[in-house]
Amino acid sequence: LTEPPSPARYKPPASETNPALEDPTPDYMNLLGMVFSMCGLMLKLKWCAWIAVYCSFISFANSRSSEDTKQMMSSFMLSISAVVMSYLQNPQPMSPPW
Amino acid sequence: MKNLYIFIAVLLIPWSFSLAKYDEFEDGDDIMEYDDNDFAEFEDVNEDTVTESPQRIITTEDDEEEATVELEGQDENHEDFDDADTQEGDTESEPYDDEEFEGYEEKPDASHSKNKDPITIVNVPAHLQNSWESYYMEILMVTGLLAYIMNYIIGKNKNNRLAHAWFNTHRELLESNFALVGDDGTNKEATSTGKLNQENEHIYNLWCSGRVCCEGMLIQLKFLKRQDLLNVLARMMRPASDQVQIKVTMNDEDMDTYVFAVGTRKALVRLQKEMQDLSEFCSDKPKSGAKYGLPDSLAILSEMGEVTEGMMDAKMIHFLTHYADKIESVQFSDQFSGPKLMQEEGQLTKLPETKKTLLFTFNVPGSGNTSPKDMESLLPLMSMVIYSIDKAKKFRLNREGKQKADKNRARVEENFLKLTHVQRQEAAQSRREEKKRAEKERIMNEEDPEKQRRLEEAALRREQKKLEKKQMKMKQIKVKAM
Repeated sequence: LTEPPSPARYKPPASETNPALEDPTPDYMNLLGMVFSMCGLMLKLKWCAWIAVYCSFISFANSRSSEDTKQMMSSFMLSISAVVMSYLQNPQPMSPPW
Repeated sequence: MKNLYIFIAVLLIPWSFSLAKYDEFEDGDDIMEYDDNDFAEFEDVNEDTVTESPQRIITTEDDEEEATVELEGQDENHEDFDDADTQEGDTESEPYDDEEFEGYEEKPDASHSKNKDPITIVNVPAHLQNSWESYYMEILMVTGLLAYIMNYIIGKNKNNRLAHAWFNTHRELLESNFALVGDDGTNKEATSTGKLNQENEHIYNLWCSGRVCCEGMLIQLKFLKRQDLLNVLARMMRPASDQVQIKVTMNDEDMDTYVFAVGTRKALVRLQKEMQDLSEFCSDKPKSGAKYGLPDSLAILSEMGEVTEGMMDAKMIHFLTHYADKIESVQFSDQFSGPKLMQEEGQLTKLPETKKTLLFTFNVPGSGNTSPKDMESLLPLMSMVIYSIDKAKKFRLNREGKQKADKNRARVEENFLKLTHVQRQEAAQSRREEKKRAEKERIMNEEDPEKQRRLEEAALRREQKKLEKKQMKMKQIKVKAM
């Protein structure tokens, strides 16, 4: 069924009108990551810092392409620095909770 | 770019470990050397004091061997102290007795040592152990991270492949039906990019336009989040499938006024709750489509019976029955405004904007384990979409149907106005009060007493006029009522 093409209408590919409908995961994970890395830094808890690294990875994987890479990188670097600082202050390996 | 950052970060983590560990090693080695040198000089004198401390670290296994080694290795003790064998320590205190009483002293000695010194095993703290094994938790963590990264790369590539497989299969059909296939909104002119827009690692968009009847068609390939390991694990508990969502915006003159939906019962129940138009116009529960020959899995939601009759023609039924497993929901609506907006009370002053839309949601077969070949099976569904566009244009309600439809729409609008009536009244009243307050303030602020009097009089006159008007209205109403 080839229809004679009428004047091609304009895009825009309906940019998300309601960002609240979108998946909130990357934002939550970003926030969680920052909270955990602050905990890890202040309270010198190694496991907090490791969880922060995981959170920032998860946030990165779920992020939209329109989102700022700067914010992603900053939360990333913050969590890495939390891990590094915890180990420099206390080189003892992490003990499992059991 | 993003991948680069990840690798750099992953390299940083083990590097920091090695930094931390090197400090430990250096200090430890130095101390050891010092110990040996110190004691080597004062072999005879400090033997007793030295032997007592090493005794603690003896394990019970060595006890029996101790006695025999003591007797034999006695002469060697003085020569090689570098061994730091703790076993030799015991003999130093009684050199002559052991030589004389070879056989006897064994057992009492052994039992003595067992009774006298309860051997306490002390755990050497982990950070003093110079081995990588003590860092097993860290190694676990890094392995987990590496696994996550691997999954990210694999998942992203799979989604990419699936998207392009879909596009390649459907390209011909789309290009033959639409003048503009693919647009990302950045060009000034409307030229086909012929490419999918990647919104996410799991969502791809395609905008098609340039066909009679419809304004445009937005196709969204909503894949599963294969790039997120957490999601992959969650899906092992709860299987889900990739979805293709198609939204066709119709021109105002090309579609009559009706609301109709068909799909799986579960999907329809959910949509009826969520969607503004379905909840307002289709008040009945989803009905079975068996009357038209549809399989049991599908149900129908409709504004009125006539619409269902009109929609369910032979070809549509054919499509629905053959591809029932892939159809999640199909919605034709002239009052489409998206899902119900959760607004705060007092903010609802206008009805949301509506657009004539056809919505299709299809499930990709495979329920998660899809391969690019499965995309071919979706091609007939696209034909169904094109057919529906033409059908929606052709289908017109008869006079009765139109009247009913108009009544329904008027009813919905009225209800809405009633709901907001209270709020609008309050808004108007608050505005009036503010005006009054502003005026009073002006009067108060006037310094000139004469002006004040004049303004007050003017305000009084205005109020009197208003009262008079109201009275007139009341009289008129009374007269009419009579």
